[in-house]
Amino acid sequence: MSQLSAKAIDFPTVVARWSLGALFVYTGLEKGLDPVSFLKLVRQYDMVQTPFLLNSIAATLPWFEVFCGALLLAGIAVRGTALTLTGVLIPFTGVVWHRALILQGAKAIPFCAVKFDCGCGMGEEFICRKLLENAGLILLAFWLLAGRGRILALRYSLSAGD
Amino acid sequence: MPSRISTSAIVLEAVIVVAAAAMFAFAANALSPHGLKLARDYFPRSASPVISTAQVSQPAATNAAATTEDSEAAEISRRIKDKGLQPIDRAQTERLFHDPRYLQGLVVFIDARDDAHYAEGHIPGAYPLDRYHPEKDLADDLTRCQSADLVVVYCTGGDCEDADYTALLLRDAGVPIQKLSVYGGGFDEWSASHLPLEQGVRGSGLAPVESK
Repeated sequence: MSQLSAKAIDFPTVVARWSLGALFVYTGLEKGLDPVSFLKLVRQYDMVQTPFLLNSIAATLPWFEVFCGALLLAGIAVRGTALTLTGVLIPFTGVVWHRALILQGAKAIPFCAVKFDCGCGMGEEFICRKLLENAGLILLAFWLLAGRGRILALRYSLSAGD
Repeated sequence: MPSRISTSAIVLEAVIVVAAAAMFAFAANALSPHGLKLARDYFPRSASPVISTAQVSQPAATNAAATTEDSEAAEISRRIKDKGLQPIDRAQTERLFHDPRYLQGLVVFIDARDDAHYAEGHIPGAYPLDRYHPEKDLADDLTRCQSADLVVVYCTGGDCEDADYTALLLRDAGVPIQKLSVYGGGFDEWSASHLPLEQGVRGSGLAPVESK
């Protein structure tokens, strides 16, 4: 009975893991199959001047996301993957926020009226909605970091003792 | 049930994930037919911001009160000039399209968008040149451009800088900069003006033009 209730508690976390994984696979493929468009979007942030670095980010970040998304879907190295995605999401959200502030200043419009394609794989979005989405994704990643969602996982942890 | 695994073990796991994901990502890019060339400079800076000699006459400014459209066009024109290239507007592009030299190959139009957009519709007679994958068309286009009097390069228009960089690619490949012009309004402006279009491969015939 206690095992059953533990699984019932765990199940929403598994759905969260699958949702986060599927989202990263989808958005990663959207960008990875059209790296030129993603390259142009990365360039708009004007944060990287070296061609090799700019190309490397545009060429590899989408596939990096696909790989991490696939790990979450399969339930492999879940906490390490969640930590990795947190490490990607937090700085990226800051960069998107900064870009939105620049656009807000240039267009002299309210912050939430700023709409642009941030290179997130979902096309043009209003910034406030985007920031809320990212906050939700970061919370999901933290939830997975807490150590739940281990049912239906191929190899929840790479650590032998776990 | 939550695990008591140590923080350092999670960090180590993350490091392994990052390393594996990075290897996968570089391999995927190398194997993908759409992959980027990591060492290539896709956005080269112009070496000499010098405007080419005016082979195409510029229309005189007729209205002091610039509309938003005018200011956008001016911004595009400034961007092109900053790269040392000659911007031309729709009327000039249209004149060159109807110039008898166009049929003789002495005026060449280059479409700098990707293959899919080119196939959906392009200015009739324009040659495709996707600067991100130039291997396919650059050699042939270079021969045409070098023997032409004037080369007009366009992409989507507006914020699209692919025409600018394609013109620079042609310049670096040996086409004299004086021959190169960039149609800043691009394909979007051309098609919105209900001017002739061609779909599919070059020479496939005019596409129906929507009535105004």
